[in-house]
Amino acid sequence: MLQQLANGVLIGCVYSLIAIGLTLIWGVMNIVNFAHGEFLMLGMFGSFWLYTLWGIDPLWSIPLVTVALFVLGLVIYRLAVSRVMKGPMLAQLVVTFGISIFLANVAVLLWTPDFRLIDKPLLNGTWNVGGLQLSVPKLVASAGSGLVSAGLLLFLRRTRTGKAILATEMNRESALLVGIDTEKVNALAFGIGAALVGIAGGFLAMYYYVYPQVGGLFGTLSFCIVALGGFGSIGGAFIAGLLVGVVQTLAGYFFDPAYKYAVVFLLYLLVVWFRPQGLRGW
Amino acid sequence: MSNAKRTLLLAAAAVLALPALAENPKVIKIGAVYPLTGNIASTGLDCRRGAELAVDIINGKYDLDLPLARTEGIPSLGGAKIELVFADTKGEPKNGLGEVERLVSQEKVVAIIGAYQSSVTKTASQATERLHIPYVCSDSSSPTLTQRGFKYFFRASPHDALFARDQFNFLKDMEKKGQKVKTIAVLYENTEFGSNVGKEVVKLAQEFGYQIVADISYAANATDVTSEVGRLVKANPDVLMHASYITDAILFTKTFKEMNFRPKAIMTFAGYIEPAYLPTVKQDAEGIVVRSTFALDLAARKPLVAKVNELFKKKYGTDMSENAARSFTAPFVLADAINRAKGTEPDALVKALEATSFGPSQVIYPWEGLKFDPQTHQNVFARGILVQIQRQQYVTVWPFDSAAAEPVWPLPPWSASAGGAQ
Amino acid sequence: MVRAAAAAAAVAAVLAFPALFGSPFPLHVAIMTLIYATLGVAWNIMGGYAGMFSFGTAAFFGIGAYTSTWLLTAHGVSPWLGLLAGGIVAALTAAAIGWPCSNLRGHYFAIASIAFAEIVRTHFNNWKLVGAAEGLMIPITPGGLRVFQWNQSKEGYYYVALVLLALALLACWAIARSRMGFYFRAIKESHELAMTLGISFVRWRLAAIMIAAFIAAASGTLYAQYVLYIDPESVLVLPISVQVVLVTMLGGAGSLPGPVIGAAVLVPLSEITRAQLGARGTGVDMILYGALITLISVYQPKGVHGFLAARLARRPAEPRAAAALEKPA
Repeated sequence: MLQQLANGVLIGCVYSLIAIGLTLIWGVMNIVNFAHGEFLMLGMFGSFWLYTLWGIDPLWSIPLVTVALFVLGLVIYRLAVSRVMKGPMLAQLVVTFGISIFLANVAVLLWTPDFRLIDKPLLNGTWNVGGLQLSVPKLVASAGSGLVSAGLLLFLRRTRTGKAILATEMNRESALLVGIDTEKVNALAFGIGAALVGIAGGFLAMYYYVYPQVGGLFGTLSFCIVALGGFGSIGGAFIAGLLVGVVQTLAGYFFDPAYKYAVVFLLYLLVVWFRPQGLRGW
Repeated sequence: MSNAKRTLLLAAAAVLALPALAENPKVIKIGAVYPLTGNIASTGLDCRRGAELAVDIINGKYDLDLPLARTEGIPSLGGAKIELVFADTKGEPKNGLGEVERLVSQEKVVAIIGAYQSSVTKTASQATERLHIPYVCSDSSSPTLTQRGFKYFFRASPHDALFARDQFNFLKDMEKKGQKVKTIAVLYENTEFGSNVGKEVVKLAQEFGYQIVADISYAANATDVTSEVGRLVKANPDVLMHASYITDAILFTKTFKEMNFRPKAIMTFAGYIEPAYLPTVKQDAEGIVVRSTFALDLAARKPLVAKVNELFKKKYGTDMSENAARSFTAPFVLADAINRAKGTEPDALVKALEATSFGPSQVIYPWEGLKFDPQTHQNVFARGILVQIQRQQYVTVWPFDSAAAEPVWPLPPWSASAGGAQ
Repeated sequence: MVRAAAAAAAVAAVLAFPALFGSPFPLHVAIMTLIYATLGVAWNIMGGYAGMFSFGTAAFFGIGAYTSTWLLTAHGVSPWLGLLAGGIVAALTAAAIGWPCSNLRGHYFAIASIAFAEIVRTHFNNWKLVGAAEGLMIPITPGGLRVFQWNQSKEGYYYVALVLLALALLACWAIARSRMGFYFRAIKESHELAMTLGISFVRWRLAAIMIAAFIAAASGTLYAQYVLYIDPESVLVLPISVQVVLVTMLGGAGSLPGPVIGAAVLVPLSEITRAQLGARGTGVDMILYGALITLISVYQPKGVHGFLAARLARRPAEPRAAAALEKPA
């Protein structure tokens, strides 16, 4: 039981890392990035190719992948997302769906639908800690997730740019009034959101298999996590991620593995029915 | 005879012969539906290669015992060549229906082969049954496909009920060697293929007198399987039977290691024999048993296998895989039937298919041959073998009279495996 | 006058389609187009008109398909009765899920609909009663209208699909012109507006969802009788729901002909690109599809209908036509 709890926390941390990028985007510009799973997939592929072509271990390639995804996020924002910001809600919902289908299939075209796995990552195996078997890559990913989240919060609260982002998130009109370039903030937030999930991709590639459609389930889970945590709330997303990881693992262990995701979605629905703003501010 | 008369006679003969020439089609099209994109596109590609090699052999002249190999094309139709027309199902049943109809109505194919995934084969064959077009399947393993009483559907390969029984017969044989087994856990992905296997295993366990201590189904694309493996650890079975596709095979293997799950044997279906599996998990897969139709080491008792693999390797640069080997058969069955029917009219073709009779030397598997049951159209001689991963190779270990090596039992311990700090 | 003549010609063409293009593939494309158009109309009622953007239409489509198919295979119930039963079950389910979700808006509603649809899919995937992952197969019969099955040709399915679409459009048209339509537009605007007007936000939301669910379920039964095999992967998955949204958006959400236009463009496009480009396994057809969706969202989010309406509105010589198009209908 304790083992399962530990596993749940470990996978939950990975989920959290994926979710904080999404919640940042959502909070700042009120858009659910349905292509978030595909950003994760690109991060994983980036890590894979850097390893396969130039022998760079995923641990060291994370900074590279992060930067690449930041740039990609900026580009996608400028080319597509920024143009629907003034459009109808439906267009905002659908545009990222289109991007997700596009990205996933470009990946199929470029890299075939085959599954890839990094076979000899630096971080490997399990540690036995007090009788609990803990996967090393997941442990490092969890530590990384915690560090990144803390780092993000520091960035948002202490730096000028970060505060501008927070201000825009809190109240768009007021931010405009005090002279914040909200367009720039949007682009930055989108880029940072993509970069964050790129980090998650780098960690995930250490132990999970990479293929063009890998973004699907992770993406769907991350939407629920973000909505659970309350959109825009980084802390909320982090806790919600952990919660989902634990619920999923325990549900699979005690109830029925086939239903473990259904339980997560049910939990999401229950929370949202009784508390539409999610766990935020609880 | 004067020159003029001779010329006239020749001309008349030529004119009379023209219709006969026109009747023989130069090319006979067969539709092939496979998942060429989507999650299991790599498998689709495998299947495609197997089928294409078969057609190469039929259309060309090869010194092999395979049907129609030594002649070019279909002899009774003046050497008409077979052409495969491929269609992508994307792994979805509704595309099985749509693509079959398109192939039949637009491309004018005379028969269908495919579709690897049993759920897609189901709809595709329903389409052919409604359209009265023959369908020869040699790569889908769901038992239900030949339980529908269809007239136009034929299956050449073994199905999962047979494969499951093989695994239990193996266990019984191992008992005779002194390895006792009492408890079994069954783990399966929750679509058509996996759940059928799950059902069969539970049924057979009862028949053979084993106790099922865990019956776990899961979603094949799970992000994490620690809860499933946790349950297995708790159940502590002697043997695990696992039906999976390749992604879950990889994920589970890694998680087994992570959580130190080590029963006496792991016996599997499908995913573990995909070409991408072993290179990915390497040492961690040692000792795992997989059901198969085909193994390269059969060449020791059947030179035909080696010769065919040579051709495959020359054409594609890699050894023949199990999926390719399965899809390899259907074109031969059809070509042979077309040859005997001397045409492609559906009902005549069905009759010819029903009369199919290959001997053991004409197939690349350890079967007695190929003959369809008159009611179900299932190949009565189809059977599986069990291979075990030994020193990073798939080695035939059962039936013992076809085996290339002794089975390793129980599974070797983890520390002998590479790839992990402990 | 001209408009009436054009309309009559269009109707004649649609009715004569099977006679003109009778081979199976075009008919298959046409039937799938009609099914998606009907699903689009269903979605339009709750999304385009009432403002609830659902990405879970597949759940009701699947419930309809499964209800009628199970009743047929397990109890021999006529598929026509099954169609009604499926619609009712779907509507009740919609009410059950819609009520707690009635306060959700925008993104929250969208995600809740995805979560709900996934729960439904997982459940059906594991529910032995309806075949779990193996799905259900409908036995092949000699066919005919009474058994809702035709095997030698598809014309029967084409006309049934056409009738279903016509009925759905009729319902949508009637709703748009009625007081219910007014209420839908009010709740689409905002909760506050509805309250100000004294309209029960929850009740009319539920009404919209239930009607949409009924129509979607009816399409599900048609699909099941057409393909003769259903499983969770073919009727309950997210891509179906996404396609429904896209079809409506492309054609013009909130307009009556929108879903029909959108389906007429998107479905043949995806079928034909798959037939031409799919066999190579490179995913090019899906790349085009994704790009198309993105472009539409960016440049023409009001869809074809919105585009045409805008064009016609700019012509000063036809003020009446412009005014007619501005009216929400």
